[in-house]
Amino acid sequence: MIEQFESSLMQFFGAIAWGKWLSTLFLLILGIVLASVAGRSVSRFMEDRASRHHTVMVRRLVFYLILAIFFFAALREAGFSLDVVLGAAGILTVAIGFASQTSASNMISGLFLLVEKPFEIGNFIEVEGTIGEVVAIDMLSVKLRTPDNLYVRIPNETLIKTRVVNRSRFPIRRMDLTVGIAYAEDVERVENLLLDLARKNSASLEEPKAFVLVTGFGPSSVDLQFSFWVPGDKVLEGRSQMMVAIKKALDEEGVEIPFPHTSIYAGSHSEPFRVELLRPQTATDKGDPDADQNG
Amino acid sequence: MTTSLEAQQTMQDGQWGVDYALDPGQTHYHELCHTRVWVTLLEQEWQIRYQRMPEADDQERWLQRITGTLPDADMDVQRFVRPDRGCQLHYLPAMSSLATVIRPYQPLTLPANSECTIYVGTLLWMRIQAGSKGTHLMELPLADSSLTWVGRTTMEGELCYSAATFARLVLDAVPKRPWRAITPVRIINERQEPLLLERFNLPTPLLSLHRNEKGHLWTPGVTVICETDMNSARLRVDQNPVAAAGRCELVSPAREQTARGGLVRAYDRIFG
Repeated sequence: MIEQFESSLMQFFGAIAWGKWLSTLFLLILGIVLASVAGRSVSRFMEDRASRHHTVMVRRLVFYLILAIFFFAALREAGFSLDVVLGAAGILTVAIGFASQTSASNMISGLFLLVEKPFEIGNFIEVEGTIGEVVAIDMLSVKLRTPDNLYVRIPNETLIKTRVVNRSRFPIRRMDLTVGIAYAEDVERVENLLLDLARKNSASLEEPKAFVLVTGFGPSSVDLQFSFWVPGDKVLEGRSQMMVAIKKALDEEGVEIPFPHTSIYAGSHSEPFRVELLRPQTATDKGDPDADQNG
Repeated sequence: MTTSLEAQQTMQDGQWGVDYALDPGQTHYHELCHTRVWVTLLEQEWQIRYQRMPEADDQERWLQRITGTLPDADMDVQRFVRPDRGCQLHYLPAMSSLATVIRPYQPLTLPANSECTIYVGTLLWMRIQAGSKGTHLMELPLADSSLTWVGRTTMEGELCYSAATFARLVLDAVPKRPWRAITPVRIINERQEPLLLERFNLPTPLLSLHRNEKGHLWTPGVTVICETDMNSARLRVDQNPVAAAGRCELVSPAREQTARGGLVRAYDRIFG
């Protein structure tokens, strides 16, 4: 019985063409090694010559192309007919497609993203309230690094469906600040003051010119829109520096920045509020306690 | 903050491309343009500090002296490990890294089919080199220039520095400062209409710096030919400074090389 089993096992192993399978395995390993080496070399070559986005794209393309060539060569070596393999792959794709619609949708969305190129690696984008720098554009998702250093994965399908704001597409940005001044102030004087600040600020560009608009008569202030342009890499510091400068300049010039006040009106039919002047109390007296001394 | 008159009298004029030697513990102090610079040599490191002066304190000379007192510790400092044991300091001028938009205070009109040469003074950057091999430590602009955008739309164009000029047509009227390089710009208007020169984009990174016998800095001349449209003028950068500069020696090469040795090339948005 055991002898019979041993002989059938020997027959089985003897029937396998080991040489063929070894060369197939060798081809696959060689493919992976060569694809990695070629990808890395292309990446090194392109590093100084192209953007990070293009470098990553080309590296991936080279890697998968070489891998595919070696994979098909390995299949042929193993004795598979390519026609049959491709046919099987077609059927498999349909089956997988039905089984994993989300992944397939993300992959196709990823292809559209590559063609449309709404952003590149390194750009700052805003998607559904998340702002971050694009660190990778992959087959299924795009990875962002937020300013507070969180890693956010956004599926490609979401990026195709929703509104994406690319904050670093153009080299310059306009900053719109709302400045409210008291009704008693001279609007033209404040306007000149703000334009002068734009001229002095190193982050503010000379052209396109800064401007000031009166946007409305608010409940407690005349609202002005102060707009100036800054280089894309100085957005945050430009805005902050300018706001500090505005506050300082308006304070120095004695221009009042009003803040909401609440007036209590008791109506004409009601009794007026009784106002009584009290003597200043001692510093230690903090008002009536909630409870008496006995608790 | 301005140095007293007495202190100024003890200071000497600084020069580009000259070796200054410091002992460890000494500081080389400069006042030029709107900037004060302190370069200090310590046993193992070089330290550089700089500070802007108020606009009113604009100097006409580049004053410098070597002192044994260390600068104020409150100032921001940049430290560099000594590249070698050499105690030499070397200062080189450099043109700005971005193109410069020159804006005449009063617009100048060039009649049809005519040409003129305007002399433009552009602000320089200071390149600090140290050690016996003249290792580059850092470079700094000698004043804060404002930035501007040059382009057809806000989507395409380039960031440039902006500088106002008197657009002088007479060379003698151009003030000579050690921190300004003179560029003769020849503008040829071949159109049938007058050309209103409100601003002009000078490609400063393409210009090399030369020093004449009087110590003034010159760049090669720039020729702008306006044939049809103001937005598509051609620009040519000469190889050498103009004859009016006198005999010159090269002090700093251009930051970027022009294509085919500075020959004529199409240059978009020359006139802003």
